[in-house]
Amino acid sequence: MHPQGRYRTPLLLVLTLLLVFTVLSLSLKRSPALRKVQGLVVAMTAPGLEGLSYVGRSAKQLWLGYFYLVGVRRQNAELQRQLEEYKQRGVHFEEAEQALTRLEGLLDLKRQVALPVIGARVIAYDPTLWSSSAIINQGKAQGVKEGLPVLAPQGIVGRIVEVYPEYSKVMLIVDRKSSADAMVQRTRVRGMLKGKGGNRGSLEFVPKSADVQVGDLVLASGLVGLYPKGLVFGKVTAANKKNPGVFQEIEVTPSVDLSALEEVLVVKVATLTLSEP
Amino acid sequence: MIAPLIAFSLVGLLIFYVQTLVLFPYVHLRLLALLLFYVGLRPSLSLTLALGLVLGCLQDSYATTPQGLHWGASLVLVAMARFSRRRLLLQQLGFQALASLVALAWQEVYLQLVTFMLGYQPLFSHDLTRVHGMEILGTAALGPLMHLLVQGVDDALRRLGWRPRSEPMPYQPFGE
Repeated sequence: MHPQGRYRTPLLLVLTLLLVFTVLSLSLKRSPALRKVQGLVVAMTAPGLEGLSYVGRSAKQLWLGYFYLVGVRRQNAELQRQLEEYKQRGVHFEEAEQALTRLEGLLDLKRQVALPVIGARVIAYDPTLWSSSAIINQGKAQGVKEGLPVLAPQGIVGRIVEVYPEYSKVMLIVDRKSSADAMVQRTRVRGMLKGKGGNRGSLEFVPKSADVQVGDLVLASGLVGLYPKGLVFGKVTAANKKNPGVFQEIEVTPSVDLSALEEVLVVKVATLTLSEP
Repeated sequence: MIAPLIAFSLVGLLIFYVQTLVLFPYVHLRLLALLLFYVGLRPSLSLTLALGLVLGCLQDSYATTPQGLHWGASLVLVAMARFSRRRLLLQQLGFQALASLVALAWQEVYLQLVTFMLGYQPLFSHDLTRVHGMEILGTAALGPLMHLLVQGVDDALRRLGWRPRSEPMPYQPFGE
């Protein structure tokens, strides 16, 4: 073998390993260059996701609004043309009504939050199990900044962790790196809500003497100022005092279905807090 | 190397779109890792490394984990694919699927160790390991399909006139 060829494979491997560990360490230091690379990748790939998502929605609407009705007409010959038109309209109205309900919810939330907000559409999720994040279609150009809270009508979704020119990355409250100051609505007991992956979190550092029961609502305390005070994180679904140690094990399930988000609100001022409801 | 890199990167991007838009959140599979493993069984190491970087970068960009985590995981897969290719002389689909299962298991060990060291999660927690185990088994079961896909991309590239540098030119009779 040619001497150059003999060293080619180990050299390639060593160089790649060096590159990976350099990037990993730069990433831990939050290097701006790496953020730019990430932003570039998202900017190049997210429009495809957005487009395909739009095509999927349109195809679904077309199926529900047309093909399905054609099938019904064939099976039910006695139905009149007028009835089909009404059905088609009905489907469109239903779709519009659902959108209206969602948007009304967002509007209510906007009024409730009483802070400047930006509406955004969720266009992608991280499909791996190693983190829980989503990409929204609003970025630096629309005034989104890092650290801003993201809300849905049912409660808190997460916060912005990366901002790209036209898109942003949201760390969901169930992400393992997510933590926020929270309190139990009924007893005002405070704790730290940490993400556990999947669709659950845990309320930590709550002493065993504190009164926490299954079904209790967990709200943002507003003390650290990240999430507006009084907004809902989720519900207590398990509370265990029999574990060793001084703190309880409390499982919290988010009130928002974080895997099926469509429209969300980004609160533009992170430091202000809500008046308590 | 450029043509197959672009082709396999596009296939990877398509798989990523399908995972995000169709499979998420109901089905969790490591299809990009499987793609990389099967591309790693082909002759070109530089293509596999480059593809590993592209796919790792794509996954890192959509996750909240630090940039480089999935790159490293890709390297583990590339190493396992090269090892399987050289030592085990894989010819049958069943053995390839088995080798991909072992490679995915090593990748899981790497990811668990790194995320543990970075403070993302406890090491080999029971519930997480069970879910990931199912994900790995399901992914490895799709090995033969991925083999067909990689083969299909390869064939398509050849039809378009691309030929690996290591492969001799087809025989042409003297004087034609």
